[in-house]
Amino acid sequence: MAVATRTSAPHAVLDHIHPEPESFVRKYVFSIDHKVIGIQYMVVGLIFFVIAGLLAEVIRVQLLHPDGRFLGGEQYNQVYSMHGSAMVWLVIIPLVTGGFGNFIMPLMIGARDVAFPWLNMASFWMFPPAGLLLFGSFLIGAPDAGWTEYPPISLLGPPGTSMWCAAIFLIGISSTLTGINFLVTILKMRAPGMTFTRMPLFVWAQVATAALSMVATTALAGALAALFIERQFGVPFYDPAKGGSPLLWQHMFWFYSHPAVYIMILPAFGIISEVLPTFARKPIFGYKMIAFSSVAIALLGFMVWAHHMFTSGMVPWLQLPFMILTMIVAIPTGVKIFGWVATLWGGSIHFSSAMLFAVGFILTFTLGGITGVYLAAVPVDLHAHGTYFIVAHFHYVLFGGSVFGIFAGLYYWWPKITGRMMNETLGKWHFWAAFISFNCTFLPMHWLGLLGMPRRVAVYDPQFTFWNQFASVSSFVLAASTLLLFYNMANSLARGKKAGPNPWGGRTLEWMISSPPPYYNFKKVPAVLGLPYDFGNPLPYLGLDNPQAEAATPSQTGQPAAAH
Amino acid sequence: MAQLVKKPKTNLGPGFWPVTIFLAVLAIVSDYYVYVTPLSRFLPEAAVPADQIDALFKFLTIVGNAIFIYVVGYVVYFCIAFRRPKNAPANTIGVQIHDQPQLEFWWTLVPTLLVVALAIFSVVIWKGLQQTQGDVLTMEAIGHQFYFEFRYPKLKASVRDEMHIPVNTPITLHVTAADVLHGFWVPEVRVKADMVPGLVNTLRFTPTTIGQYRIICTEYCGSSHGKMIAKLYIDSQQDFGKWFAKEANIAASGGGGAAVALTTGQKDKGQALFGQKCSTCHSVGPYNQIIVGPGLGHLFNDAEHKQLVDGKDVTPENIAYILHNGYQGQLNGHVAVMPSAQANAISNEDIANLTAYLVSLSK
Amino acid sequence: MAAVLHGDDHGHGHGGGFVENEVIYQETRDMRLLGFVLFLMSDVVLFSAFIFAYLYLRGTVPVWPPMMNGTQLPRLDVAFAAVNSIVLFGSGVTMHYALENWKHGKRGEFDFWMLSTIVLGTAFLGGQAYEYAHAQIGGWSGSIFGASFFTLTGMHGFHVFVGVVFLAVLWWQTKKGVYDETHHFGLTAGTLYWHFVDVIWVALFYLFYIF
Repeated sequence: MAVATRTSAPHAVLDHIHPEPESFVRKYVFSIDHKVIGIQYMVVGLIFFVIAGLLAEVIRVQLLHPDGRFLGGEQYNQVYSMHGSAMVWLVIIPLVTGGFGNFIMPLMIGARDVAFPWLNMASFWMFPPAGLLLFGSFLIGAPDAGWTEYPPISLLGPPGTSMWCAAIFLIGISSTLTGINFLVTILKMRAPGMTFTRMPLFVWAQVATAALSMVATTALAGALAALFIERQFGVPFYDPAKGGSPLLWQHMFWFYSHPAVYIMILPAFGIISEVLPTFARKPIFGYKMIAFSSVAIALLGFMVWAHHMFTSGMVPWLQLPFMILTMIVAIPTGVKIFGWVATLWGGSIHFSSAMLFAVGFILTFTLGGITGVYLAAVPVDLHAHGTYFIVAHFHYVLFGGSVFGIFAGLYYWWPKITGRMMNETLGKWHFWAAFISFNCTFLPMHWLGLLGMPRRVAVYDPQFTFWNQFASVSSFVLAASTLLLFYNMANSLARGKKAGPNPWGGRTLEWMISSPPPYYNFKKVPAVLGLPYDFGNPLPYLGLDNPQAEAATPSQTGQPAAAH
Repeated sequence: MAQLVKKPKTNLGPGFWPVTIFLAVLAIVSDYYVYVTPLSRFLPEAAVPADQIDALFKFLTIVGNAIFIYVVGYVVYFCIAFRRPKNAPANTIGVQIHDQPQLEFWWTLVPTLLVVALAIFSVVIWKGLQQTQGDVLTMEAIGHQFYFEFRYPKLKASVRDEMHIPVNTPITLHVTAADVLHGFWVPEVRVKADMVPGLVNTLRFTPTTIGQYRIICTEYCGSSHGKMIAKLYIDSQQDFGKWFAKEANIAASGGGGAAVALTTGQKDKGQALFGQKCSTCHSVGPYNQIIVGPGLGHLFNDAEHKQLVDGKDVTPENIAYILHNGYQGQLNGHVAVMPSAQANAISNEDIANLTAYLVSLSK
Repeated sequence: MAAVLHGDDHGHGHGGGFVENEVIYQETRDMRLLGFVLFLMSDVVLFSAFIFAYLYLRGTVPVWPPMMNGTQLPRLDVAFAAVNSIVLFGSGVTMHYALENWKHGKRGEFDFWMLSTIVLGTAFLGGQAYEYAHAQIGGWSGSIFGASFFTLTGMHGFHVFVGVVFLAVLWWQTKKGVYDETHHFGLTAGTLYWHFVDVIWVALFYLFYIF
């Protein structure tokens, strides 16, 4: 094995440690430290998660009764439109890219920060204003045509629809800049010896996601700008009465929004790919296949957007290539799932809260992925489009997928970020309550949709009452279970056990430094000799700061590991 | 780079094969149940191609169910079988295997083959959706906020909220919308189409089961989107005839027959009829002032379009011919469908009036 | 890390060079170049989205230019736009010479070519203002022609305006001694941006005036 020599090129930039800022404002408010920015994204993202989750509960209260006693139709439409918009743009995307991506990815590649720290700060500081702009729309009439805001109705919608355009445009700029930042960081700032095939899978996921963010988001910016100027100035793009085309919006919107769902899921895949090996104490199975499948999924993700438009009236023959390409995406996705399952085989498995959510993720995401293949088949989609089957599908992949992945990441990296342990017993309660109630909430929606319940309705046919009530009550349990997580986080911050550098016995670079890491991350950037998944071997790093961490053995009590 | 630290045991773990066999039995039994259970038990199949779509759905379920059973089964089994015992040291490692190329080859190939099979099956079913055979009833559905409007051949007025169709008659349903996007869906028929203002989408199906069904709007259209439901009645031929006669104000006029005496056409009546029947798709401006079809104001003095759209000379007789038979073909790269007199519910007298009016515009 | 890059400790740094550490400078320059190129790529996607919208809408009407209020709109004035295009492309040539001269230390020539670029860029904007005032295509909201033309060329014009400001700032920076012959990432970025603006105009000129 060649020993990487520490020369100044090509990573002299990593040797440079700049002095720590001194004022409170520069340390915690306008910080250029990726770790602080990561925490900021997570805090704001989790706040919006609670708000958007409460909106979801309003939806479920409304749907307890088929005759819509709780809200008027107009209000209801605003509630679910804001729920969806917030969850996509203010919760999941910021948490998985700006949150976990920012905090963890530079540590994993042995960098001291991202490529453009000031740009990183600017990206974050667009996020709270975008959120305020979006929720501020409630004051003047929130958007009401779903998170997809199809014209012509979105042209006529409440004034807040224009605020929605501006808010998403702003968060889109943030997302694009973060994508550029992460892409340059990963391409140019990996520690010496960290070739692409020695990169942890979370980093592979982030590089694929960054490429998607960078390329797809500006297409949405275009669509939003056109909607805005048509609403405000009558410039005809989408209104058929003026020569425009409603289908134009759908093409432009979905050209971004399909890659967006991969932006939301790929980092979660990355989290699962880190959690599973650590708690099974064996290598991830099929590393190369999983790495390359992330790239394949990202590429294919650009070619399938019109599968959201099969019923829209586009020329029929166009349905075929989109159908076939969408089915093809199932293959790299399946490869990942099988790799994860095989990672469990022969493991020495410890069921931490993070591991429970990772395993739960495999089950719920697989179901969501399978229903996606149903929808790829045009004839079946012609039946299922616009119904609760779609709602079921995307909640399985976005909640059972992305959110469970976020939960797994939170439990996994909480000690690293905060220097405290979370209560694992509470975590287990959270998992079981969430997993069971999640399935009870969303599984019935599959047949509700197939049997004839459309989506985006404030009232429904009485034949669907029982399963709607079942889903609503289950959703209340799901919401309550999330409170367990928040209590756990607060309690941990107040009086959680202090965490050592490596409570889980992980082998990626973030576990080789203290919890939380010093502002400069690594005193000396280590050289990387191999993949971080060989639990039987010595750590594949040279020049680590902390020789104690070289033992890399997990502690069941969360105390710093004893050297062996 | 993928080096094995330990040679993996050929023993795949305690109980691996029994579990595998158990999962296989579970998959086979449940898939068999799926295969033999008609989906119409859960939701009636009221038309062709509902049965074909259900067949594709079943195929997806059989394959998806088996995959899901194995994924869930192995995950649960591995979590139990390979759980680190409480008394084992925390740093006990698992089997240090990185990959198994042969296994990975198969678990890539088999899904690929399944996807190919699914794609082929789907394309076959898809093709079946594109056309209907035989004597077709062509009609229109127009979405409004918040009701459905239906237009029939031989009916002067449109019908709201109730759509009747005769059983075993192939239906070609043209859908569009008057204001915003709507959707047209009958779950028992299985196909749906968005109703898009400015565009005409087409659904083709043949009702096979008499009964009453719901027509549901499936594209968000405003505050009462959830209440936008209409009734579909698939009637026997007789009942359909009775309903139709009840709705019709005048006796249905037939196709064919003696040529219309066009000199008797009245252009004011034609003008009124134009506004009622034609102006949704045609303007009275020049050819290029297209709404859905070309402008009809300069038929006789258009330097760029010296023939009618079907290539015939511009004469009152040929205009009447198109009014009578409709037109289907290409218009500037788009598929153009102009309903026939029967579909538009206009009589020979109406044709005469319309022709007189159109002639008066540009002769 | 950021402190060394603009050489603003020029004269105060360790070792006698223009920048504190040549290796760090080159590494960060590579990263900033990649970042800037990626930014331009995402900007290309923005223009592509609107170009797609234009071509899609154009495909829904049987004639182009489309009808408005019963009459067909006129085509745009190719001749004027061609002249204005030459002005813009000329500014791309002058920008190229500006950078080359800078790299060879010919500061006087650099000033000439750089200021020419700024002047030509501004002239192009003036030409666009004239075109906007005289185009008879029904205004921004009159038809899909106006919608796509004014939106796309307006976005482009905004990019030209930002570019002119950017170049002016860069020129001012050269006067303050921020760059030297081998350390001038800002000038490289400015040149790339200016060429990008030219390439976009090639596409827009073709799509609106020729096609």
